[in-house]
Amino acid sequence: MVISAEKRLQRSRLRLGGTLELWLGGAMAGALLLLTLFSQFVQTHDPMYGDLMVRFAAPGSEAHWLGTDNLGRDMWSRAVAGLAWSLSCALTATLIAAVIGTVFGLLAAESHGRLRGVIRQIVDLVLAFPGLVAAICVIAVVGQGFWPLVLTLGLLTWPVFARVVYAESLSLMERDYVLAARMLGVSRFRILLGHVLPGLRATLLVMLAFHFADMLIAESALSFLGIGAPLGDPTWGNMLAESRQFLFRAPWMLFVPAGAIVLAVVTANLLGDGIAVAARKRGRAIDS
Amino acid sequence: MTSTIVKRLRDLAILLFGLTLVLFFMLRLAGDPAIVMAGPDATLEQIDALRVQYGLDKPVWQQFLVYLRNVLMLDFGQSLASGVPAMEKVMSMLPATLLLTFLAMGFTLIVSIPLGAWLGYRPDAPSRRFTAWLVFIGQGVPGFVVGLVAIQIFAVNLGWLPSLGYGTVQHWILPTISLGAFLIPKLTRVLAANVAEAMREDYIRTARANGVRSRELLTRYALPNALLGATALVGTQFAFLISGTVVIEIIFSWPGIGWLLIESTQTLDFPVVQAIAIVIAVLVFVINLLTDLAFQVLDPRLKKAPA
Repeated sequence: MVISAEKRLQRSRLRLGGTLELWLGGAMAGALLLLTLFSQFVQTHDPMYGDLMVRFAAPGSEAHWLGTDNLGRDMWSRAVAGLAWSLSCALTATLIAAVIGTVFGLLAAESHGRLRGVIRQIVDLVLAFPGLVAAICVIAVVGQGFWPLVLTLGLLTWPVFARVVYAESLSLMERDYVLAARMLGVSRFRILLGHVLPGLRATLLVMLAFHFADMLIAESALSFLGIGAPLGDPTWGNMLAESRQFLFRAPWMLFVPAGAIVLAVVTANLLGDGIAVAARKRGRAIDS
Repeated sequence: MTSTIVKRLRDLAILLFGLTLVLFFMLRLAGDPAIVMAGPDATLEQIDALRVQYGLDKPVWQQFLVYLRNVLMLDFGQSLASGVPAMEKVMSMLPATLLLTFLAMGFTLIVSIPLGAWLGYRPDAPSRRFTAWLVFIGQGVPGFVVGLVAIQIFAVNLGWLPSLGYGTVQHWILPTISLGAFLIPKLTRVLAANVAEAMREDYIRTARANGVRSRELLTRYALPNALLGATALVGTQFAFLISGTVVIEIIFSWPGIGWLLIESTQTLDFPVVQAIAIVIAVLVFVINLLTDLAFQVLDPRLKKAPA
């Protein structure tokens, strides 16, 4: 009894220590999510409305605690509006990439011969080309806005998922339980969905978090270049672009959106790292 | 080794063909080149004349075959904006991009290798834990944000360095640091993990038991092994670095092909966009090939084992 209690304590401490990132990331993600869901209520002003009487108000001023921009629009309200835009863009793009990538990764792992070769070739080709350059070329054609942006990012980045899912599925398919299922005559489709896919859970979660961070950066970079979000919309990339003319007058126009991007990306990275560490710990506990 | 090069060249050929095909049809969907060339005040007759002159009145697949034949003969067409051959225009701006990427790569290596080695040597020491956290936060700061903040601090507030342009060595400093910021945290973390792993290996324990000094333990035994893994990362991340170059060139008005890419997509200058895409694909291919070859030279195990 004593030993087992001690062991349990040790294990729980280990779990807590190992997933500090997870707790921190989870808390920050929860806070950002709440801000997004209740953005209507936490915004102190209309993010699009400019009050020309209070242009370039510095942060800490009475009505505008993060200041105002060159048109007198409230920086805090704009940052919150940008959060909603960034999260929905990055989340949708990530999900598109994850679904397509997982399907093709599983297909390549399951099929032999030509289909696998074709998928691998496509994956290698897409990954060999700089993503942002490709996105710029595509968006120049399909135009700006939420769906063009999200579809471009998702459809250009699914090979990232396909490659990892493919490699992991191959090794999972060698496991005894998959072989046993196969010998029992379970169909290939059900083996993939019921036995291989659940084994990918931890890997997929980690990849989702990191890909989400990448998509946040890509979206804000494209908006900054003036080809992502519609111009004038309150998004972090647009706010960064607008800040460039007023570096002397209003440095907060740069620091507010820059800080927001960093906060969101660090949150996603924390979640990804935390899940990875937790999964590794659990795997080790099972092995030993 | 020759067979891998042949296979790589085949991959490059497929990539270039796919790229040409996709870009050609996509850019044709975007707009009519004749309208772009003719300018805003052109009459319908003038546009039609341009169509006939450039073969734009023929079916699209015929146009593609013509374009493909021209590309194979290294003729990428003329810039719609200036009439200069597209490839000539791209090539004239390529050196600036190459300079920036190689400066950034060098800066990345100079920072990441010592930092990663130091962090990985004793990862649990408090000061290194703290630094590792800083590096982790740094990974969340996009390189273009680093660039913007660096301009704000060093060019605007302190006035130490110029923010825009290309002319002198002073102009190079901020873009190099900003582009380096894309890769430094990632590479540092990988190196630190590799060094930490190597330090737990048996050969390190043996060397330590034989009385090898700890500094030498790191630099002669653990680090070379860790660097090997990092070499592969540098190769695969080069494409990512090129993506970063585009944004950094815009921020610093650096006259490279990233800057040209944005300008030509905005003016719908299709031949230039296509030429840029092809140049970048070849560039990434060459860098990857070189890192692979370096890999084979650095790792004696690869020479014996057939690839």
